[in-house]
Amino acid sequence: MENATQYGDAREYLQAARASMRQVKRLLSEPSAEAADESAALLRDVEVQLGCVAAILRQNGAKPHAEIRAGVEELQNEVAVLASFFAGADKMLSGWLDAIRSRRGGYTERGQAAPLMLVRKLSVEG
Amino acid sequence: MGSLFSALDAAAQSIQAFERAINVTQNNVTNANSPGYANQVPQMISQDFQSSGGSTSGGVQEVTQDTRSVYADTAVQQQLSLQGMYQQLQTTLAPLQTVFDVSSSSAIPSALNQLFQSFSQWSTQPSNGNYQAGVLNAAQQVGSAFQQAAVQLGQIQASTTNDIQSTVAQINQDSAALQEFNQQIARDSQPNAGLNAQVESTLENLSGLANIQVLKGIGGTVTVLLGGQTPLVEGLQMNAIQAVNNTASNTANLGGAPNISIEDSNGNDITSQVTSGGLAGLLNVRNNLLPSLIGGGQQVGGLNTLAQGLADSINNVLTQGTTSSTPPYQAGSPLFTYNANAPAGIAGTLAVSSTITASQLAAANPGPPFVANGAALTLAGLDSSSPGPIQGQGFTQYFSSLTASVGNAVNNANTQATAQSQLVAQAQSLQQQVSGVSLDAQAIQLVQLQTSYQAASKVVTVIDQITQSLLTMIPG
Repeated sequence: MENATQYGDAREYLQAARASMRQVKRLLSEPSAEAADESAALLRDVEVQLGCVAAILRQNGAKPHAEIRAGVEELQNEVAVLASFFAGADKMLSGWLDAIRSRRGGYTERGQAAPLMLVRKLSVEG
Repeated sequence: MGSLFSALDAAAQSIQAFERAINVTQNNVTNANSPGYANQVPQMISQDFQSSGGSTSGGVQEVTQDTRSVYADTAVQQQLSLQGMYQQLQTTLAPLQTVFDVSSSSAIPSALNQLFQSFSQWSTQPSNGNYQAGVLNAAQQVGSAFQQAAVQLGQIQASTTNDIQSTVAQINQDSAALQEFNQQIARDSQPNAGLNAQVESTLENLSGLANIQVLKGIGGTVTVLLGGQTPLVEGLQMNAIQAVNNTASNTANLGGAPNISIEDSNGNDITSQVTSGGLAGLLNVRNNLLPSLIGGGQQVGGLNTLAQGLADSINNVLTQGTTSSTPPYQAGSPLFTYNANAPAGIAGTLAVSSTITASQLAAANPGPPFVANGAALTLAGLDSSSPGPIQGQGFTQYFSSLTASVGNAVNNANTQATAQSQLVAQAQSLQQQVSGVSLDAQAIQLVQLQTSYQAASKVVTVIDQITQSLLTMIPG
């Protein structure tokens, strides 16, 4: 009976983690630093929730549990999509920034785009 | 000092400039949802007063500026190209799962299971006519299952080849349209936002088909390079590409279909330049994945290896066995036949020997010592013997590894296609956000976004590790 309750808790943590992942997916449909920061906070929640699932499972020992396993597998697929998304986004943004850097500052001796110097505009009077 | 007429002329020009500015705004509203359209910004430039000669003086002039960011356009095109590739992989790989089904109820593993069960049953009573007939029936089922799989894979191969031809035709069609647009742009003296929108829309469509690089010329004409190297459109000239059978890849004479190559208008092989877009997805399946399964010009293919390994292993046991119980021992007949002259077509020709009868099935091992059901017992345990007969694996296990390779490819395509759809949406949204924004401001926005994404990405890595360890904690 105790095990059933504890597995019930694991299920709840897993459901909460999946709900957070859905929210992350929604947030990342719009490219903004705010949405990305909010996503990172939600992902840290997922990390904690999954940590709780792991603690419960560890306490109960290795037992087959089809529902929890299916839930974790589904979550793993979503994580794979997210990892692929972040890798792709990083590549896209790096390429875009490189293009701007080379346009603004040319290339370094090693043939890489020159570092971008972003300075605030100065107003000099007198 | 300017005359009254020149002052009136300047005023009239100013009114016309404002009218054009209103038209530009109206055009923006009308085309808000037109694919490829970028907002145009009317810029009012004051003209110098000229105090002598009575010429036009003062007033304003309207110059329309395109707010399009060439870097944003490139980012969108690159993402569309990757999306095109993964979506094409998803579509092309889906039918393969019907042949390489993960469930054991699919044709080949099910037929193999029945065959080894029939051997097992036969080994209990080697002279039982019903059990002998059971072996022949089960062997026929195995032959049919392999032949059916070969036919299905052949159909997928043919349809992929057709898709490559039609994708190449679409690429040439888009290139021709861009060449026509270039001609119109060269004819028009004024910038044409509508025409530019059509150019961008065509370029986006073309990006979904292949990895292209776009160079913008004076007035908005475009040069389009495939893989950054082969010109598809160059000013007023268009260079068509074509898909051809690569006969050079067929030197091994295995009897399989040769690979497909893409050639430029001079007949040069440019296949390696196609790295993304729908065409890359199709070429990957047609030239790599399908030959690894059904064979091609350079490899036999896993299904043929399995068919040959199965037939040879079983035939070997039967021909070394005997049908008689006392010397002189009568050797058994081979159960399976196939066309050995076409190694890449073995699965399609695997069948039960037309001359074999139930009484020619050799159940006994002549030894010494003589074992009445020795050969039948060996056959019954062939699939689970260690090491297995095909590259150290049993027949069912080898088929499972083929299924796993297809499953992984499908899974990867699904994951990447989903992520890529989100990335295309991101790139398109960023394209709107940076429209008309200075390069410095664009860079600041992009750096902020990249930093935030990198931070979130690190948490995703940790979550991935946790899910991995969770799965090891819960037995399947």
